[in-house]
Amino acid sequence: MNTAAPTPLPRQIALYAVAGVGLAVWAFPVVWGLLTSFKTERDVLAYPPVWIFTPTLANYREVLFGASSIVPNLVSSLIVATLATALTLVFAIPAAYAMARLRFPAKRGTGFYVLATQMLPPVGLIIPYYLVLQKIGGLDTYGGLTVIYLTFSLPFAIWLLVSYFEDVPVEMEEAALLDRAGRVRALWHVVLPQVKGGIAVTTIFVFLNAWNEFMFAVVLGGNRVRPVTVAMFNFISVEQTQWAKLAAGAMLAMAPVILLGMVAQRHIVKGLTVGAVKGGGRRA
Amino acid sequence: MSIRGGSGEAGDGLSRPLAFADTDVDLAPASATPDPAKVGSASVRIEGVVKQHGATTVLHGIDLVIAPGEFFVLLGPSGSGKTTTLRILAGLESVSAGRVLMDGADVTTREPGARDVAMVFQSYALYPHMTVEQNIGFPLKMVGTSRDEIARAVGGAAAKVGIGHLLQRAPGQLSGGQQQRVALARAIVRQPRLFLLDEPLSNLDAKLRLETRLELRRLQRSLGVTTVYVTHDQEEAMTLADRIAVFMDGRIVQVGSPRQIFARPLSIDVAAFIGTPPMNLLAGEWERHAVSVGSSTVAVAAESRTPRDVVLGIRPHDLRLAEGGLRARVEGVEDLGDSAIVDLVVDERLVKLKTDRPPALREGEAVFVAFAPEDAHLFDSTTGARIG
Repeated sequence: MNTAAPTPLPRQIALYAVAGVGLAVWAFPVVWGLLTSFKTERDVLAYPPVWIFTPTLANYREVLFGASSIVPNLVSSLIVATLATALTLVFAIPAAYAMARLRFPAKRGTGFYVLATQMLPPVGLIIPYYLVLQKIGGLDTYGGLTVIYLTFSLPFAIWLLVSYFEDVPVEMEEAALLDRAGRVRALWHVVLPQVKGGIAVTTIFVFLNAWNEFMFAVVLGGNRVRPVTVAMFNFISVEQTQWAKLAAGAMLAMAPVILLGMVAQRHIVKGLTVGAVKGGGRRA
Repeated sequence: MSIRGGSGEAGDGLSRPLAFADTDVDLAPASATPDPAKVGSASVRIEGVVKQHGATTVLHGIDLVIAPGEFFVLLGPSGSGKTTTLRILAGLESVSAGRVLMDGADVTTREPGARDVAMVFQSYALYPHMTVEQNIGFPLKMVGTSRDEIARAVGGAAAKVGIGHLLQRAPGQLSGGQQQRVALARAIVRQPRLFLLDEPLSNLDAKLRLETRLELRRLQRSLGVTTVYVTHDQEEAMTLADRIAVFMDGRIVQVGSPRQIFARPLSIDVAAFIGTPPMNLLAGEWERHAVSVGSSTVAVAAESRTPRDVVLGIRPHDLRLAEGGLRARVEGVEDLGDSAIVDLVVDERLVKLKTDRPPALREGEAVFVAFAPEDAHLFDSTTGARIG
């Protein structure tokens, strides 16, 4: 900003205007939800909408400690998302490393297969997944839902990580081999520290996807495994929709995600750029 | 082709002590000849090594014997197989046929880490997330050396290459020359039996390259470790090597001391590759003690009983302006300050003559050039092999 010639004022105003409109459109539902979460049900339904109202914490009290507490569901979400993320990394890191480095039969085919699983519309898989999980007793279990999440997050994570591994010069790894590290320690001491950024990005994306997932959770979960996304759906019933509680629940569900996003913002932006530049061109 | 011995010939003039620019560490005086008895210096034998990448053959049967403590240079144009040979020695590349032996033990299929060899890569391959100290100490850490011992060894190795003051820096904060020294220190810290260098000077600027070349030679002498060095720069090979193997198209075409290779190239390819400017090559007919080139005839030392077509080679510095000899036309004179190159046309071929001071010649002037009969190199015009 301060190094180049200053942008002309009209142009600056136009830029801010465009950015402002974009931000407003994006932020509106969030702001609406935030305001609603502090309203009484009566204020919520008031028409025209009231902008000035006496805020209440009753909704938060209810969704946290009341009869319809979503705390168990937050725990449920946390378990599923953490399990899915951890397992994804455990499998995706060696897989991506192998895809980037090793020569093995049908490498191209494998690469395409990994990508192809991402092309299937998830909704088309729900029924087969349901039937399979039912047969093996995996419905409404953490294991069952986590495995289903892995089928989506694993290919995505592998695909994302491969470009990071390819960025590490082969010579560096060869140097480690000659320095008597062996393959595993070369990976651990030399390669992994250099793909740290990619691992961070992958972790965040996989966690977010699992945390925000609704469709599989609602069909394959149940009374025991009921992530927060599903629990919030329960605030919408045939007789009435409890908007204020729904909003309070949504705010609570968003909080960890927003926090994670803020902490990892730098990594995410960098990761997206890397993926954009490299992932597209090189993979066929 | 296994040739032994003949070491130390070219290096004698270069082993005078040289201080590193940025260190006051005193190195043990460099001995003029490598000491084969020195601990941890391996002999290397390569037997019939073939390397194929799919349908293409990169190496067509390489045979080499390298003596303990020798500074051995693999020289050749890019794509000639010299780097592949080095990587096979390192264990980074498998062989399609043949064996690699170190101190008599077959290491052909041994993992790189189990060979006790250290390598300096062309790109240095420093670990960017570690400090200089951690980089140099890495090969010791990997075998469980104690922390104190690592610190001591790292300090010693860093001092030897004059980077003792940079230990806490990250590689990214160093200049190219400093990075190169870190790579060297990382290689010598563990006292390997075999030291491999892949064009280690090619990323340095010209002045630094000359300095480092001498330091490298001296370092190798003081360590006495068997060294295999890959380069495409014939001047580097001439100044560093005890012996050189010249690679062409996946084959070793000549092995010998720098002096032997310069004075008696065994083929046209080697003759044309070694020397600056390269050897002049002229087609001619050889009979008895004379070769006729175009309309001129010159005397050579070797004799042919029957007339035959040959390629006559003469080094530019062996040519001189004379009253008789080869008829030539002057194309121009390049004054290099300490010497001069005269560009001539002989029998419609460009010929270069190297002399101490620029002669007063005009472009287009007709002159004669001559050479001593024993300075003539004669090659078979079809096979390119040396015949006289």
